[in-house]
Amino acid sequence: MSGNPSTSSTGGGGGGGPCGACKFLRRKCVSECIFAPYFDSEQGAAHFAAVHKVFGASNVTKLLMHIPVNKRLDAVITLSYEAQARLRDPVYGCVAQIFALQQQVANLHTELSYFRTHLATLEAVTSSPQTPPPPPPPPQLHFTRAELSTSDLPNTTCVPTAYDLSSLFEPTLKPSSWTMQQMRPHQFSSGSTIAPPTDMPPAQIDDVDLEELGRFATVPCSGVTSLPPHGKGDEIV
Amino acid sequence: MTSTRCAVCKYFRRRCPSDCIFSPHFPPNNPQRFTCVHRIYGASNIGKMLEELPIEDRAIAVETLYYEAKCRIQDPVYGCVGLIPWLQQELNIAQSQLAKTRAEIAFLYANVPVAKPILGPTEPLVQQNDIDHGLDDPSNSWFC
Repeated sequence: MSGNPSTSSTGGGGGGGPCGACKFLRRKCVSECIFAPYFDSEQGAAHFAAVHKVFGASNVTKLLMHIPVNKRLDAVITLSYEAQARLRDPVYGCVAQIFALQQQVANLHTELSYFRTHLATLEAVTSSPQTPPPPPPPPQLHFTRAELSTSDLPNTTCVPTAYDLSSLFEPTLKPSSWTMQQMRPHQFSSGSTIAPPTDMPPAQIDDVDLEELGRFATVPCSGVTSLPPHGKGDEIV
Repeated sequence: MTSTRCAVCKYFRRRCPSDCIFSPHFPPNNPQRFTCVHRIYGASNIGKMLEELPIEDRAIAVETLYYEAKCRIQDPVYGCVGLIPWLQQELNIAQSQLAKTRAEIAFLYANVPVAKPILGPTEPLVQQNDIDHGLDDPSNSWFC
């Protein structure tokens, strides 16, 4: 899966041998193999192994079949990301990271609201000759363990429809160029505020693996305004 | 066999044994929950994942799997992973705004005159770096 997002000579049943997926599955790699563009024969097999273990080859095939070709690379990247996160953390998967980020954002907003209020007070006071009050202690933000309720997590309708996925693999860096073509209003599920699985850090992603994924993670994507139709998944993988 | 089959066994039209691994997490009154995860992961994979987990962790695992499956159905390309860059962006924006607000507060404090503290004439102030800044002089407006 590294370095060769396009139809490379290493896959596709042409002259280059089976793709990583077909190698893993030990089957003949046909010329129109749906996995060939995304899983090369060298390291693709290892990446596909994770995807197969979590989702199953059949389910991934069905997913990709219902996605436009120009979006499949991003889909494979995100599926691999989810699969690897799930293998590292079988309980929370990549939801741990989402949870932690959401809580950090909520805490910052609380702190920001507090300081903005204090700033407004200060500005009002400084216009008078009296001594400004000392700043009260900032709000104590605690992470408390609480029952996980995914109903309070954001849903995917509140995010842009296209991303530069390289920011996924460098969480400490600020997101680079956004290809935000549609910004929809924030839609958070109603419900009580919940705390993340407290001292749990964001999912530790193996930077080495994800750097390889990230080599082709900068394909600018055009927004998809409508979801492709999906079929029923009635097959046990 | 349980008197009421779980959603999984109902889906597959099979008997639901008393030790069915799915029954605590897929009640029969919520078939959509299983349909969702089955579409993305497949029942077999879900069963294997649950078997590898301690019993006390399975409920959370099913919850997160259900969330990821829902996100993937809503957004087949990015799934829930698409939320991560967006949340990181929100975090950066909030951090910038917080830093700016704090700087504004610090500026106001630095530029507003404050009453001098009352000190005895023989009470020395802390000398830093062994340099006498004339701090013994109470008339010295050292304070800021």
